[in-house]
Amino acid sequence: MAGIVTEPWSSAENGNASMTPKGSSRELRHGRTAHNMSSSSLRKKSDLRVIQKVPYKGLKDFLTNLQEVILGTKLAILFPAIPAAIICTYCGVSQPWIFGLSMLGLTPLAERVSFLTEQLAFYTGPTLGGLLNATCGNATELIIAILALTNNKVAVVKYSLLGSILSNLLLVLGTSLFCGGIANLRREQRFDRKQADVNFFLLLLGLLCHLLPLLYTYVATEDTPAAVISDMSLVLSRSSSIIMLISYIAYLVFQLWTHRQLFDAQDQEDEYDDDVEEETAVISFWSGFVWLVGMTLVIALLSEYVVATIETASESWNLSVSFISIILLPIVGNAAEHAGAIIFAFKNKLDISLGVALGSATQIGLFVVPLTIIVSWIIGINMDLNFNLLETGSLALSIIITAFTLQDGTSHYMKGLVLLMCYFIIAICFFVDKLPQKQPNGFHMGLQQMNNVVTATGGGVFSS
Amino acid sequence: MGSIVEPWAITENGNATAKGSSRELRHGRTAHNMSSSSLRKKSDLRLIQKVPCKTLKNILSNFQEVILGTKLTLLFLAIPLAILANSYHYGRPLIFGLSLIGLTPLAERVSFLTEQLAFYTGPTVGGLLNATCGNATELIIAILALANNKVAVVKYSLLGSILSNLLLVLGTSLFCGGIANIRREQRFDRKQADVNFFLLLMGLLCHLLPLLLKYAATGEVSTSLINKMSLNLSRTSSIVMLIAYIAYLIFQLWTHRQLFEAQEDDDDAYDDEVTVEETPVIGFWSGFAWLVGMTLVIALLSEYVVATIEEASDSWGLSVGFISIILLPIVGNAAEHAGAIIFAFKNKLDISLGVALGSATQISLFVVPLSVIVAWIMGIKMDLNFNILETSSLALAIIITAFTLQDGTSHYMKGLVLLLCYVIIAACFFVDQIPQKQPNGTIVGLQPKNNPGSGFFSA
Repeated sequence: MAGIVTEPWSSAENGNASMTPKGSSRELRHGRTAHNMSSSSLRKKSDLRVIQKVPYKGLKDFLTNLQEVILGTKLAILFPAIPAAIICTYCGVSQPWIFGLSMLGLTPLAERVSFLTEQLAFYTGPTLGGLLNATCGNATELIIAILALTNNKVAVVKYSLLGSILSNLLLVLGTSLFCGGIANLRREQRFDRKQADVNFFLLLLGLLCHLLPLLYTYVATEDTPAAVISDMSLVLSRSSSIIMLISYIAYLVFQLWTHRQLFDAQDQEDEYDDDVEEETAVISFWSGFVWLVGMTLVIALLSEYVVATIETASESWNLSVSFISIILLPIVGNAAEHAGAIIFAFKNKLDISLGVALGSATQIGLFVVPLTIIVSWIIGINMDLNFNLLETGSLALSIIITAFTLQDGTSHYMKGLVLLMCYFIIAICFFVDKLPQKQPNGFHMGLQQMNNVVTATGGGVFSS
Repeated sequence: MGSIVEPWAITENGNATAKGSSRELRHGRTAHNMSSSSLRKKSDLRLIQKVPCKTLKNILSNFQEVILGTKLTLLFLAIPLAILANSYHYGRPLIFGLSLIGLTPLAERVSFLTEQLAFYTGPTVGGLLNATCGNATELIIAILALANNKVAVVKYSLLGSILSNLLLVLGTSLFCGGIANIRREQRFDRKQADVNFFLLLMGLLCHLLPLLLKYAATGEVSTSLINKMSLNLSRTSSIVMLIAYIAYLIFQLWTHRQLFEAQEDDDDAYDDEVTVEETPVIGFWSGFAWLVGMTLVIALLSEYVVATIEEASDSWGLSVGFISIILLPIVGNAAEHAGAIIFAFKNKLDISLGVALGSATQISLFVVPLSVIVAWIMGIKMDLNFNILETSSLALAIIITAFTLQDGTSHYMKGLVLLLCYVIIAACFFVDQIPQKQPNGTIVGLQPKNNPGSGFFSA
């Protein structure tokens, strides 16, 4: 889930009871973040005629509220998965079912949380709204990560966060550029590279932070005991996390305050107004707040199920845990943004698609990951930034390929196709990866590092 | 050796076009064909006119066009010599050398013949023909080496071909072009180069993941499991790469043709080079027959090359890796190489880039996955893991070249740096005397660092 902020809420400055006409001035359009504009494509106009017939005013307000929040999205049909998942847990239905239903239930919840933060931002003002979006945007990933940490499943944490970055960089971006390119085959598609560039050098900073602990384990000689290496890696990871958080705060200052103009959404033609139905808040502040807290609790509950049942699901579906964490979980978490980014690419509004995808990747790479490390530090779990060779290699090449592809400021369908194919290749790689995982003290996860070879009995890897 | 710039506009105007014709005709030539045409000679038909009999005249003029129509004709003598040497069992290294020399003009003639055939078949098929037959030499060598289960030779020769196109051909072109045009600004259109580069990066990803898979595994996992995973991943990636290549052809030949058009040029001097081949000089069926014949001769010489490569490497004191990565591609690319340099001299960088980058993309995304699929059909275990030294050279070559060509201009320093990078990589493989081990054709070249009982840096 992205919380990309493009512009502080100038609409709030115009007052809340603004019955602004459609086709209004540019400031209001600029008041929408890229993320919110993309998610609004999944919303439905609330049909209030049925409720108007209800006699009691209090009940009417309550029902209106309910309809806006629960039924205001095209993903509403997935909501029944939530009670289904809860019932399955209590009835002791097999765990893979719980896993699947929880994942389905998380999808609309993620979209509703973004809707609610947008509504709240109408009330809280521009800066706070932007901050709210930036932090709560990826709430699903953050909650899954923290819950997995408390269950000491560090591998799941690392894989799911990595998969989220890869999914944003390659899958969301690739499908958007591909669909946009096919739809606009005869038109030239341009976008502003400055915004993309800011995201890329932050992602490269994150990549450096992942690369150095990884290289530590390869540089060590056979005399160095494993404990020293893991200790060094941990200290480096924790300090790097603090630095990454500082840079993320600087990025927020850059984006929300000093260089706001770089992130302005493109000037748009008038047909855009048809999409923008949410110029005013549709629910009040306190109800929005209550819904937000409630939905976050339900997300936490479903994430608890997901984290608890992931191993059983992986065995019964015959997929490795790494494949489920890297590929399946992020697809679920990002589904709403994904659809929105594709729709905006169809309309040749690439800046928004890029803002969603790249901003989300930056947020996870520079905010959720270091925050998870700090949380694990507080809890006392040893999680470091070493995401293992295969994963870090995939991440490095994804960043490089995407950065190179977006370098010239134009787009066509081949670019999207290549990014999409790269995602498939990485997915296939993790699909065929049937190497067993080992988790002593949560240090060696997934594929093991090379220095274990020394202690292994028997031949090396390539002895035949 | 087949990069496509533009479908054949010539056939739309009819074949009998006048010399000094309009720009559309010039735009109808692919970059590859324009570069190769620089190696052609105007056929001198005066001698043949004296021959009384008409059929004999036709045959002789046909013969003269095809065999003698290139400045590389002298090298044709190497072909019968190689066949003689093989029959009389002369030294194997001699057969190897003669076969190499004989392959050079053959590769050029095959491109000439595909161009002639494209006059008849129309734009799209002509482009496709160029795209597939362009690198016929590399493809044939790869398949023959596979049939002899020499998977190392296949991998090295294909890798060397990509490196040669990216660094050697491009480097010498940019360098010579920069020196010749030292006071002029040299520009080219980056969009075409960009398309090639992200396809090359995707190919690099496909090579990198099987390599990392092998390094990420530990001693407790059996070798056969790792090999099986790597093989499955490689085979699936090959299918994905072929799909991407087909999409690239659609992009290049159909939907975004305009990105790949050759530069407009007003130079009238240019007409002198191009006018010779505006119309086909041989009939369709004779061209087709010559093409089949030459392909067979290429296959024969490649057979000799593949069979004698080890003895040649032993007797010349060079490793098989060096011969496959450096010598074979130089031979296979010689014609394009010369053409690319000549066009860079004339400050027509788009064509040089089209030749070099298009060829590299074609090998990386078409010949390599095709070899893996052919190996799959034959039952030979070839994967995309080209080992760490080769893959890193490839990665850095792609990154350096992409970065160099990023701004759309060129000067001789760029060419010099690319050339020197190639020399360094060649030196690396020259000094690489580490013995090769080929159990099941899986470990080739340098071994990964997991010899039991030793750390990484133990002395």
